[in-house]
Amino acid sequence: MNDSVLVLSIVSAIVAGTPILFAALGEILTERSGVMNLGVEGMMLIGGVTGFWAGVQTGNLWVALLAGGLAGVVFSAVHALLAISLRVNQIVSGLALVIVGNGLSSYWGTIGDAPLIQSFNGVQVDPILPEALRGLPAVGPILFGHDPVVYLSWLIVAGAGYFLYRTNAGLSLRAVGEDPAAADAAGLSVTGIRYLFTLVGGFGAGVGGAYLALAVLGTWQAGMTAGAGWIAVALVILAGWRPWLALLASYVFGALRTLGFTLQIAGVEVPSDFLSMIPFVVTFLVVVIVSANPERARRVGAPASLGEPYSREAR
Amino acid sequence: MTLRVSVEPRARPALAVRVGVPIASLAAAALVGAAIIVVSGNSPLEAYRTVLDSSLNGVRPITRTLVLATPLILTGLAAAVAFRMRVWNIGAEGQLYMGAIAASGLALWLPADTPKVLMLAAMIVGGSVLGALWAGVAALPKAYFNTNEVITTLMLNFVALYFMNYLIFGTVSFWRDPGRNYPQGKLIPDSAELPIIHHRLHYGLVIALIAAVVLWWVLRGTTWGFELRTIGDSPSASRYAGMSVSGKILSVLALSGALAGVAGAIEISGTLKALDPRAVATELGFTGIVVAAVARLNPLGVVPVAVLLGAVAASGAKLQTIGIDAEIVFLLQGLIFLFVASGEFFLSNRLVVSSTSAAMSQTPATEAAHE
Amino acid sequence: MAAVGETILEVRDLNKSFYGVAANEQVNFDLRAGEVHGLLGENGAGKSTLCSVLAGLYRPDSGEISLDGQRVSLRSPHEAAEHGIGMVYQHFRLVPSLTVAENLVLGLKGQGVRLTLRAVETRVAEIAEEYGLSVHPSAYIWQLSVGEQQRVEILKQLYRGARILILDEPTAVLAPQECEKLFEVVRHMADQDHSVVLVSHKMEEILGHTDRVTVLRGGRNAGTVPTEDATASQLATMMIGAEHMPEAGQHEPRRIDDAEPVLTVTDLHVTGDRGTPAVNGASLEVCRGQIVGIAGVAGNGQREFQEALAGLRPATSGSVRLGDRDITAASPRRRSQVGLAYVPEDRLGTGLASGLTIEENLVLKSYREPPHSRFGVLSSSAIAATARTLVERFDVRGARRQMAVSLMSGGNLQRAILARELTRSHDVLLAASPTRGLDVAATAAVRGHIRAETDDGRGVLLFSEDLAEITELSDLILVMSRGRIVGSYTPETLDVEELGLLMTGAKDHGAHQDGGRAA
Repeated sequence: MNDSVLVLSIVSAIVAGTPILFAALGEILTERSGVMNLGVEGMMLIGGVTGFWAGVQTGNLWVALLAGGLAGVVFSAVHALLAISLRVNQIVSGLALVIVGNGLSSYWGTIGDAPLIQSFNGVQVDPILPEALRGLPAVGPILFGHDPVVYLSWLIVAGAGYFLYRTNAGLSLRAVGEDPAAADAAGLSVTGIRYLFTLVGGFGAGVGGAYLALAVLGTWQAGMTAGAGWIAVALVILAGWRPWLALLASYVFGALRTLGFTLQIAGVEVPSDFLSMIPFVVTFLVVVIVSANPERARRVGAPASLGEPYSREAR
Repeated sequence: MTLRVSVEPRARPALAVRVGVPIASLAAAALVGAAIIVVSGNSPLEAYRTVLDSSLNGVRPITRTLVLATPLILTGLAAAVAFRMRVWNIGAEGQLYMGAIAASGLALWLPADTPKVLMLAAMIVGGSVLGALWAGVAALPKAYFNTNEVITTLMLNFVALYFMNYLIFGTVSFWRDPGRNYPQGKLIPDSAELPIIHHRLHYGLVIALIAAVVLWWVLRGTTWGFELRTIGDSPSASRYAGMSVSGKILSVLALSGALAGVAGAIEISGTLKALDPRAVATELGFTGIVVAAVARLNPLGVVPVAVLLGAVAASGAKLQTIGIDAEIVFLLQGLIFLFVASGEFFLSNRLVVSSTSAAMSQTPATEAAHE
Repeated sequence: MAAVGETILEVRDLNKSFYGVAANEQVNFDLRAGEVHGLLGENGAGKSTLCSVLAGLYRPDSGEISLDGQRVSLRSPHEAAEHGIGMVYQHFRLVPSLTVAENLVLGLKGQGVRLTLRAVETRVAEIAEEYGLSVHPSAYIWQLSVGEQQRVEILKQLYRGARILILDEPTAVLAPQECEKLFEVVRHMADQDHSVVLVSHKMEEILGHTDRVTVLRGGRNAGTVPTEDATASQLATMMIGAEHMPEAGQHEPRRIDDAEPVLTVTDLHVTGDRGTPAVNGASLEVCRGQIVGIAGVAGNGQREFQEALAGLRPATSGSVRLGDRDITAASPRRRSQVGLAYVPEDRLGTGLASGLTIEENLVLKSYREPPHSRFGVLSSSAIAATARTLVERFDVRGARRQMAVSLMSGGNLQRAILARELTRSHDVLLAASPTRGLDVAATAAVRGHIRAETDDGRGVLLFSEDLAEITELSDLILVMSRGRIVGSYTPETLDVEELGLLMTGAKDHGAHQDGGRAA
């Protein structure tokens, strides 16, 4: 039973969805502060190459993930500086990150005597729970068969949800993204909070990229994200900026990324390109349907100041 | 007492500042690029000499640069015209794919002995129409529901991308060459190829340059452009003057999509000669947005910026031969943008360091807000 | 805490100026525990500046502030709050997507990590009960009416321990029933030994709901009196100033008896931004050669009225006629074509597009017409020629061809708008606060242009908060209050005291439905 197509495809959906989940959680926090960072794809690529490199060097999963996350932070700091302090158009600045991330990661991956593209990383990404649990029918592989990073991502989802809705700091974050002028009047530092959570978003994307390279693909190749960062951007909108829904949506999108293969096994021919299209078509439709009704748009709750720079004088 | 760094708008920068800041920005981008090249164990001097050699030194390098600049001029114009009205079309990428699909489809469908002029006209018109329609998919909800076009145009890029991939890789479509094992597009007939100016440089460049001049003139010299600039500058004043904003959204996005579609058609007709998704999807649309931003949304400014980025891109293959990965060119392009955009800020603002113990700034603006 | 009736807050010789313009000069003010203290004055009298100093937003240039006899300096809103001073602004500072309780704790220091809304909600319920502020603590702000949101702002100040509450024009945004509720709350707070400063320019509010009243005029004290000893006319005189009282009959009214009406507004109703009625059945008539001035305190529907006349805001009912043409539903462009010139209050942003050049702005209304364009193609030489003529004729200075107009001075901006509007063929000029913020020379020039309109047989409808301007220019003076025309005077019949009472809502003639022509 644990070898059935259904169980296997759920497991692979979770594996494929985890990098997207990390990136989407980061972007949720960034956008909640009112900053839109379209550079997720670039940050994932740079996190991926850095994490892979660190994995080859140290063989340690956690060091590698941390390295990937920090690379994402450095990258997002550029966006923070441009978008928050220098008030450069956030769209353009985010796209520039994608272009630079693409170039820098490909460059790094192919230089040197032992380029990453020919390397294998010695990082062990193994299940951690006992065999007895993993062997349970159906729930074994689906719930207990994962590596520790997957469980960490569940903890982070719960933590992000708790942070956003149950802590004072989360309240401040939401207020800054909704109404920076009111948050400013309440004594919060709009700029400080926006910087912090733009960096947090970079960390999430970097970790996601590193996990993708180390655990999902196992090798490094140029442009290895293949649009995962863009799916994360779409997913943030579909999840309505909510961590729990992001968990669900990232596994659904993860399933779509592997579904073509699964269906082929099952003998069904669905062109994989149309499966790949689904996240984007669905997001497009959802955005249009939601915007057609202002009442619905309010309930879905995009941060009201998303993408708009704030300065006290311009109030 | 605390030290405060505040930002003040600069009224009219001196000429030296206006010329100096962009040059300093480019120099800073080159320096950071050099640092990265050094860290990776290569010689930046050699790298930059190669960049200049392979992009500007001689007729062939220059043609290479201009071939690469051609689509960037058109996608840069596509972004510039929409951004001028604060309509954030980031779907030039997908609109370009649709233009390429339409143009290659028409080239294969029309009889191969169709006169060149007609064939080329059909491809360019077809590419621009499909590009405009694809932009229209986002423009209609924007005009009627005020749907955020940043997200819709972004999503449509990927729909177009996977559709294009499907046509070649997913099935044996009309576009795919059935005679080959490896999936690839059918070659277009000779009559569908843009004539060559020199070496590989085709007349697509001329079309792009004409488009730049015409767009510059349209923005400056027509009532349509006047309305577009007024709406972009001040929606309230444009309403006061009796202009219709939602109608303009449709026409601006259609024009923007058409320009990107023409870029796709020209890539097929002038450079690729077949629908090759991997070669079409090289972030020409996104790079065009960066081009437009660096050119301050000025259509004539788009041309030199696109040529600059094209020159950087042209050196990729040559860099490879001296052991530097070609991908470095995207890094250099991005660095140019990052530094020029930061420089822009210091053109219109300056930093003022002051010591103050008052928590609130007392500007006329805050004063007025309370009256 | 001070006993009831003792002075808790004292302001001595306060001076505050902005860029050399004095907003407060030698202002004195004292506040007693448990009193509701009215602060009355026209727009620009210095009320807001005084309040902002007390709230810690502005630092005074000189002067002393004492609390409970101790000199204090209030350097930030935080410090003012620590001293128990809280201000409720006209524009609420609440995050719409958060709940009442969340807004109350937002930014509060010493809250710990966890958001403990339960405790907050209990405390809020207690305060709400104590002061009669019925608000549900877990409701979202966007679900609340404007009046409820205001109560949340008051709750926020009380929650943060305010004992002195400054309410800046609190009824400006409220419906009449909500006003009643607000004043109940205010009375409750005073009964609980809190002190309330009620900023207003509405006489009835001051007379009906305060214990004492301080009147400011031109940035200086005009006096402080116990409310029970004050009369409406006495306060109106203090507000406007006897020496500033415009004399009746300053100029000969033009003979308009046989003139035909060029603008006729009949029973116009217009809805405001918040979906509430802003203009409630306004009617008037402007004849050829006549200047009709509309006096009134800001926020009584004038802006919505102007926008409806200009076609920028739909009328819900009623009609607008220009000559014998019905333009009630006409577009702004159509109105301009058939003869309505409009000088809006917002010069840079509405009247002019700030990033365009002076030439482009001068043809903002005529760019589609020959010779400025033919078949959609602009003629830069024709536009330049028009601009040159207009700049010269209207003496617009500081304009350079390729320069954005945002760099020009206010007087020149207004000259540019007048140049564009008055040189187009038109029958009626609609002008809103045309001289606000202008220097003496520019003001004189603008008024000269408005007077000259009538010589050519055009009609002028002038909105202004400057009473002196209205009385100086108008042949017929209408008073607008709460979206209606409530009074009508000719220069001969002008009774400034009565007009002041009508403006401030202290006296209601009953709406002058027939407003229009002088009897």
